[in-house]
Amino acid sequence: MRRNLVCLMMIFATLALALSVAAAEAPKVVTLDSPTALLQIRVMVKAGAAADPAGLEGLANLTARMMIEGGFGDPRKPVTKVQLAEMTRPWGGGAYPHVDVAKETTTFSMIVPKERLDTYVKQVFAPLFTQPLFAAEELDRLRAETLTTLRSARLEQIELVGLIALDNSIHTGTSYAHPDLGTEKGLAQVTAEAVRRFYATHYTPENVVVGVSSTDPAIVEQLRAALSGLGQVEAPAFARHPAERPAEVRGREVLIVALPNAISTGLHAGFPLPLTRADQDYWPLYMANIWFGTHRDGFSHLYQMIRGDRGYNYGDYSYMEHFEGRPFSLFPPTNSPRRHQYFSIWIRPVQHDYVHHLLKALTWELENFIRTGLTEEQCARAKNKARVLYLSLAETSSRLLGYRLDDEFYGLNPGYLDNYLGKINGVSCGQMNAAIKKYLQAENLKYVIITDDEVAPKLAEALAGGEPAWGKPPADYQIDVKDEGGQKVYTVPAPKLELLRRDAAWAHYWLDIPRERIRIVPVEQLFVTATIPKQ
Amino acid sequence: MKASLLRQASVLAVVTLLAGLAAIVQAASPARASEKVFPYAIHKKTLENGLDVIVIETPEFKDVLSYNTLVLAGARNETEPGKSGLAHLFEHILFRHQYAGEDSGYEERMSKLGTHNNAWTWFDGTFYHPLTFTSNLAGKKTPREELPGVVQLESSRFTSLAFTKKIFQTEAGAVLGEYRRVASFPQIKMSERLLGLLFPHHPYGHTTIGYYEDVLDMPNEYEAALKFYDTYYRPNNCVLVIAGDVKAEEIFAQVEPYYRAWERQEVPPIIPTGEPPQQEQREHVPWGADVAPIVWVSHRLPAFRPGTVEGAVVELLNELLVAEAAPLYKKLRYQKQTASSLFFGEGTQGMESFDARLLTVSARLFKEKHAQRGQEYFDEVSGDIITGMEELKRFARQKGAKKLLRTLKSRYRYDFLAGLSSPANIAQTFSWYYRFNRNPEVFENLLASVERLTPKDIEKFARKYFVPERRAVLTLAYEGAKEAARK
Repeated sequence: MRRNLVCLMMIFATLALALSVAAAEAPKVVTLDSPTALLQIRVMVKAGAAADPAGLEGLANLTARMMIEGGFGDPRKPVTKVQLAEMTRPWGGGAYPHVDVAKETTTFSMIVPKERLDTYVKQVFAPLFTQPLFAAEELDRLRAETLTTLRSARLEQIELVGLIALDNSIHTGTSYAHPDLGTEKGLAQVTAEAVRRFYATHYTPENVVVGVSSTDPAIVEQLRAALSGLGQVEAPAFARHPAERPAEVRGREVLIVALPNAISTGLHAGFPLPLTRADQDYWPLYMANIWFGTHRDGFSHLYQMIRGDRGYNYGDYSYMEHFEGRPFSLFPPTNSPRRHQYFSIWIRPVQHDYVHHLLKALTWELENFIRTGLTEEQCARAKNKARVLYLSLAETSSRLLGYRLDDEFYGLNPGYLDNYLGKINGVSCGQMNAAIKKYLQAENLKYVIITDDEVAPKLAEALAGGEPAWGKPPADYQIDVKDEGGQKVYTVPAPKLELLRRDAAWAHYWLDIPRERIRIVPVEQLFVTATIPKQ
Repeated sequence: MKASLLRQASVLAVVTLLAGLAAIVQAASPARASEKVFPYAIHKKTLENGLDVIVIETPEFKDVLSYNTLVLAGARNETEPGKSGLAHLFEHILFRHQYAGEDSGYEERMSKLGTHNNAWTWFDGTFYHPLTFTSNLAGKKTPREELPGVVQLESSRFTSLAFTKKIFQTEAGAVLGEYRRVASFPQIKMSERLLGLLFPHHPYGHTTIGYYEDVLDMPNEYEAALKFYDTYYRPNNCVLVIAGDVKAEEIFAQVEPYYRAWERQEVPPIIPTGEPPQQEQREHVPWGADVAPIVWVSHRLPAFRPGTVEGAVVELLNELLVAEAAPLYKKLRYQKQTASSLFFGEGTQGMESFDARLLTVSARLFKEKHAQRGQEYFDEVSGDIITGMEELKRFARQKGAKKLLRTLKSRYRYDFLAGLSSPANIAQTFSWYYRFNRNPEVFENLLASVERLTPKDIEKFARKYFVPERRAVLTLAYEGAKEAARK
């Protein structure tokens, strides 16, 4: 009897050991309570462009693309990219995996009809992630395509390039300092062996989180087990290191990106912000920023001042987190979490003549925002707006699942959306104003101006000269001007007086940027390496 | 409202939708196909002035209100030369409505209520889509003031818009900014040229944002804008689509008093001033920046109507031509590697138009190859695209055509249903298709028409429309690259 007991105990002990080993070898699965017929599945690898080794910028991106297009399964009978497309075809476009590479993460998304899940897991999900083949000829094709995209985007997408240039500029010298797509030189250096090494280093069970829109334990276990063999290829690992905190900005400096034939100029400004959504102060600053510069929304202050009242451009916004997916996304896409954030302002393209004036304007407005803070009424309106934004942030199951994965990254429990309305309601106006004072400043700023190459040198001189710079004339505000005895007399109605006063404050604001802190870089020299050329 | 409640509600709604849809997807038998695919009831009431009010009850989305107005006027209704872009400018103006005679009166109140408020303009229409909480439908009384509700505010800007010349000119500046932000995209210039070539006698001949010169001149078009509003912003030319946590009968009762006084007026028809061109056209667009070359192959297609055979073919063209498993896609991107990307220039939406419009297959090429081979490279890619499209003329004769078509139908249903993921998405998709026939059964009709398609239908369509006389081929390359090709 006693002997049997010992045996049983040994069996249990062995079982327990086996279970714990299995648990360690399979990734964590997070779920969304939703018995959908179409399952949303995401696989988040906690490594993105910031994990690109120096000189191999673009490796994370090419590895992700190779996972999908580089073939998988038995090397003697591989499933090619074409077979993958054909296999998944009847199950909807979402069944063909889609991947997004951000700074800290690489996220694969799939939508799979529930009744096809068994087949999908067996034929696609498990072999794609655990038996990638990384065919070298596919790498060459993907590299050529990526270089074409990168080089063309530089000359076509004035807004996107400005946004990336600011991000890179703020993170100079860190592993955030290059586009997620990669750099020209980095992409050229990526080999199939480097891709295998990246996979072996980062696509490992403990570094991966799976999300699924089902709480069915069988489905959860099925997905978990399918990925238990992740990362098992024979290749030496790269050194893993967390992304570095960006250096503090001291004073103001300007990077002018010069484009051929640009008919307008985009303005950007920013600085590192030591705050993520895992911090207590996140919510007060989030709400303050909603008042100051909500993305794509006529509600906010910057938009009202520059577009609404004066019609300079299409929109003017500020951010206290990196916002992936601009210029097109209306709401922040999920799955681009970062451990280092930055505050930024974006003035969408304006007529060249008004750049100097509006650079002063954005700085003056930021300074004034910090100086005056928000009134109780303004706080209440920001709160109202924040509540409504929730409807869009939590609009679909796809977004809800995306937030779950980001919660894993930030270590949030309860999650961001679970907490959202409660946090919004709980923040006081005093806390918002305290957060503004604590985290925002306008003395130490990096600016990026993206403009025409013929405008650039003149602009650099004008900015350094520091003379008053005016925007639209009173005639544009339909203010009557009469000539009385050689003197111009303006008849200004009361509401327009405030407009003109503010214009004058902007025009006379001193930016204090010496010429040596202004550099001009031709756009073709951006994204060549992870370093922005000196001049 | 509790956060978790809404979250669960959103999820539930998706669940219900997709659960209902999956049943149909699984059942390919004709008997089951007669079941309703769309799980929510759609209620319709037409007011005496001709305004269609549609209510889609999606109660799972607790307290969500998607309040949409579709005006059946877009770039297609800009018939006067020099006045392109007016419909889009008008979309902007509507946000500047002086409610209660105050500047920003409308926006201020919508903001105080708490709404996310946006709109878009396309060729056939302009769509206004505020999103808010159902509790904001009616007004609110606060200790300080009385706030009108969404019904009052929205109806006010459509039935009795007020704006000054100053507001108009300020917004014209914003539209100019919008043009500027996209001006560096070569596709804008290509669109202007292509539409001009294919539709010289129809307002589809210009882009939605308008020509640059017209946009620059917009501040002077105040009178023209007033006329545009007076002509097209009429109840019989609009559709109100309300989706979310609402009850149809209550909505009808709430809405009618505010829209009743809006006067009906016949809307002038769009009559082309001549015949479209009857021969293939080719044009090269030189570009001033060293970007990757582009090839567009476009064909004029028939007017779209959901539920018809031709309409159903249109729904499957993306999958037949430019999806990863399509032969043309595989040939250009994988086998010959002559294009880095291949897609429809305007998605499927470009074909889903009230009058005959177009399909553009867009290929992004490689600079290096163009530098070496020049025009020959363009000819090869455009030739391959044309051949790939012409292969559909023999679709029924290929091995496994029926099975392939079954696969495509299955994929289409899953994709269609996956897109209906929130009240806002449902309302927008519904409005998009409803506008053609004003039939609330439009989702069912559309899906059933795709279900009925035969391989022969695809052949017939391709033979009729993928022909040289309906075609235009546009190429774009950097001017300097042209020089290099000559050497």
